[in-house]
Amino acid sequence: MEAGLSAGRLIGHPVRRREDERILRGRTRYLDDIDPPGAAQVAFVRSPFAHARIGGVGVPDGLEGVFAVLTAADLEGRVRHLPVQGFEGGEVSTEGHPVLAGDEVRYAGQPVAAVLAESRALAEDAAELIEVEYEPLEPVLDARSSEVTMSRWHKVSGDVEGAFASAAHVVRASHGLPRLAPVPMEPRGTIASYDDADDLLTVWVSAQDSHRQLAGLANVLDRPEESIHVIVPDVGGAFGSKGAPGPETMLVAIAAVMSGRTVKWAEDREENFVASYQGRGMEADVELALDDDATIVAVRARIWADLGGYLMPTTAIPTHTTAMLMCGVYDIQAADVEIVGKRTNKVPTGPYRGAGRPEAAYFVECTVDVAAKELGIDPLELRRRNLIRELPYETALGWTYDSGDYERCLDLAAELVEPERRSDDERVVGTGFGMYVERAGGLFETADAELLPDGRLLVRSGSSPHGQGHDTTFAQVAAERFGVGLEDVELRFGDSKEVPRGVGTFASRSVAMGGSAVVQAVDALKQKCEAVEARLGRSVSLREIAVAEPGLRASARFESDLVFSSGAYGAVVEIERATGALRVLRLAAVDDAGTIVNPLLAEGQVIGGSAQGLGQCLVEEAVYDEEGNPTFASFVGYSLLTAAEMPPVLTAFVETPSPLNPLGAKGIGEGGAIGTPGAVANAVADALGGVRVDPPFTEDKLWRALREAGS
Amino acid sequence: MKPSRFEYRAPGSVEEALPLLRPESSVLAGGQSLVPLLNLRLAIPELVVDINGIAELDYIHADDGVLRIGAMTRQVVLERSELVRRRWPLLHQAVRLVGHPQIRTRGTVGGSVAHADPAAELPVALTALGARFHLLSPGAARVLGASELFLGPLHTAREPDELLVEIEVPEQPEGAGSGFAEHARTHGDFATAGAAAVVGPGGHAGIALLGAGPVPARADEAERALADGAEPPEAAALAAQGIEDEHRRALCTELARRAIEQAAA
Repeated sequence: MEAGLSAGRLIGHPVRRREDERILRGRTRYLDDIDPPGAAQVAFVRSPFAHARIGGVGVPDGLEGVFAVLTAADLEGRVRHLPVQGFEGGEVSTEGHPVLAGDEVRYAGQPVAAVLAESRALAEDAAELIEVEYEPLEPVLDARSSEVTMSRWHKVSGDVEGAFASAAHVVRASHGLPRLAPVPMEPRGTIASYDDADDLLTVWVSAQDSHRQLAGLANVLDRPEESIHVIVPDVGGAFGSKGAPGPETMLVAIAAVMSGRTVKWAEDREENFVASYQGRGMEADVELALDDDATIVAVRARIWADLGGYLMPTTAIPTHTTAMLMCGVYDIQAADVEIVGKRTNKVPTGPYRGAGRPEAAYFVECTVDVAAKELGIDPLELRRRNLIRELPYETALGWTYDSGDYERCLDLAAELVEPERRSDDERVVGTGFGMYVERAGGLFETADAELLPDGRLLVRSGSSPHGQGHDTTFAQVAAERFGVGLEDVELRFGDSKEVPRGVGTFASRSVAMGGSAVVQAVDALKQKCEAVEARLGRSVSLREIAVAEPGLRASARFESDLVFSSGAYGAVVEIERATGALRVLRLAAVDDAGTIVNPLLAEGQVIGGSAQGLGQCLVEEAVYDEEGNPTFASFVGYSLLTAAEMPPVLTAFVETPSPLNPLGAKGIGEGGAIGTPGAVANAVADALGGVRVDPPFTEDKLWRALREAGS
Repeated sequence: MKPSRFEYRAPGSVEEALPLLRPESSVLAGGQSLVPLLNLRLAIPELVVDINGIAELDYIHADDGVLRIGAMTRQVVLERSELVRRRWPLLHQAVRLVGHPQIRTRGTVGGSVAHADPAAELPVALTALGARFHLLSPGAARVLGASELFLGPLHTAREPDELLVEIEVPEQPEGAGSGFAEHARTHGDFATAGAAAVVGPGGHAGIALLGAGPVPARADEAERALADGAEPPEAAALAAQGIEDEHRRALCTELARRAIEQAAA
């Protein structure tokens, strides 16, 4: 085909994001930009108590501008509780989150009633007048002391007891990562409208994909999927928090069905802080058994996850990920890992950038540094002695790492970061490393390729973007495989009636899974084009093929086992003696995400992920007071890093292609958030002469630790 | 995050504004604190008196060596004033630390003073400079010093029918230097602690701390010690000596030391 002659190699090139011009010029359409005339605006009545019994809900008469007030009683028989996803080998409670609270609230911020009014301001006015009788109950705020287990997973593999009994050294350490708020730039939101004649429910939702929303809505509203149309508009970030639909989305959808009105809920920042599911919130006791030559022979870990008041659909998933990654990048033959997910009176947790991986990396890497300190071995040397060197490798816990070169990553990180340890009257400086391996990809993803009448290529993707740059990277993949220029490829996402059923954008999976589906769909279409060309018996343009055989189309559903990205991070930090203030002087980020389709965007993901990892280290923490009230309901109580706090991030990629997909890609969306906390924590401990504290590394904590260190 | 219903008035002069002020009213200056408080329904006034149209309150000038700042002067105007930078550099140092440029473009000097956030930079700098605050009410006027005006967090001696119209800053001694140091979680965030210092020949010293108590506190003892020839670290320790929490005391001591050393340099 003639067009093929002009096309060059695009995979691996730092193509600038072609979606940015539209975004930067404000031509995007986010959920709140959609303004259906006459829509009822929703405000929720949310529990002011962390834990309470509800006596009753009183709705005064004559509320100004109010169409309806919905309570749990009104939804009786119309909606189910949200579904709960389990995981392999896990005992997971099946009790899901109610759409509206019935007789009990289990966290401050839980939706109790919904007001539908002419405007959001009137809805909020009315929400203040709804009388809810609460009988406050004692809140449970600590996972370790909670008596209610919502999920549990335990696995013993190899002779753990024997290994510990005969070990030359046993190292024990406890670590914790506090809860974080995801804080996407655009909060959540849903609009729903119902067409009675066709029994069609149309739902616009700010989400990470269309089909998981569709499945969730169908389940909770007990409607056939064919009767629901989900449209995901432009999405201003999610970091995991817009994966499975939450109770508010369900409420908006059922309210549209019940009222016959178009119903809109655009979440505000305060709601987003208190009611959007959070990340992290795990503590662990970790033990390593080492033999004479510092070989790690066994790991034992007991982990507590503070899951909050209910299991959201995917709340339990990160606990499994954490547990399964507790061997890290090390060749450890025996493992005994238990993770319990506890009910507390806080907003539920869920998958937030990293989703269980940063916790595992932090627990393992900090314990390795404790071992190095206790054994008097250089932490890099202890790591090198224990790294997995031959891949694929099946861990004691049962996952198969597909590819990687962990030592190369570590060597590069050490070289880039230029380790330092020094101390004077004013400051102490230390260096630390943190490695990671992450599960990425898995399940399936879809794409559909069509030759347009003008000879251009249209790709409909089951995977949809919310800031990752699919429109550029997927176009690079499609254009290169099809042999056309980038400008000849158009991508469509996010409309459940248009795109094939996909899985979504999370778990660092878009390029490996969605990109591979694009490869397969485009390759299949190309074969069809070549067949047409062969039939015509001469070299023709794509436009001529489109004329000769209109509507040429091919679709693909790509499935694969998990792929495992990996990396090594290094940090040099400085702590000021007088105040305890921490400054990260530089961060080295070395990631192996297999084949990199676009190094510019990949580096952007690393830097963004690192900023979130550093945020966790420096300032972020969702703190509840002793009554279980969130103290982080605004940016006064919850801080995010700014560009001014970002240290130089020295990035490098190691590319060991995955054997599991046609691109050789793994995943890069989360590495920065996973690798950074361990590296910074180990650097802080190095600067403090071995004294360990958990993030966030606030100046008061470090000032006290410095005094403890007596250095 | 929608405010509850309120009546809105936008007077064009101080004369028109004064009769509107009452206990149920809030004055809207730059709106950088009041608007979020309204949206969070932490402030639920019946009436919002928007004074952004009062041009007569927007000025910076120096008469007889005294700096006069109209209450509606935007923080960015203070930041860019050559007069202020040259003769009252402490204000320049402090205002640059207020929020972000977007905030300083709307935020006003008077609004920051009247809001009396204990984490705000300008009240602390004005306290160290010995500023005086002019309040007007229908038929009356009074002038208060910092210790009289600032009563507690978000709480001043301003009566509901009074409007803060001007901030007056006395002339600083010839050869005086100034310093401002603060600690914030992130750039542009609310300060967790800070210190402002003016040090001049002949024992002149003005020191005030941020985050050491509910209001900007003048550190009299430290000022006297400096006048008597104490070294900056010693004066700084005196400035922070009343703070109970050990770390906060250490933090304030260090920031006071930096501010004093910067002023004395």
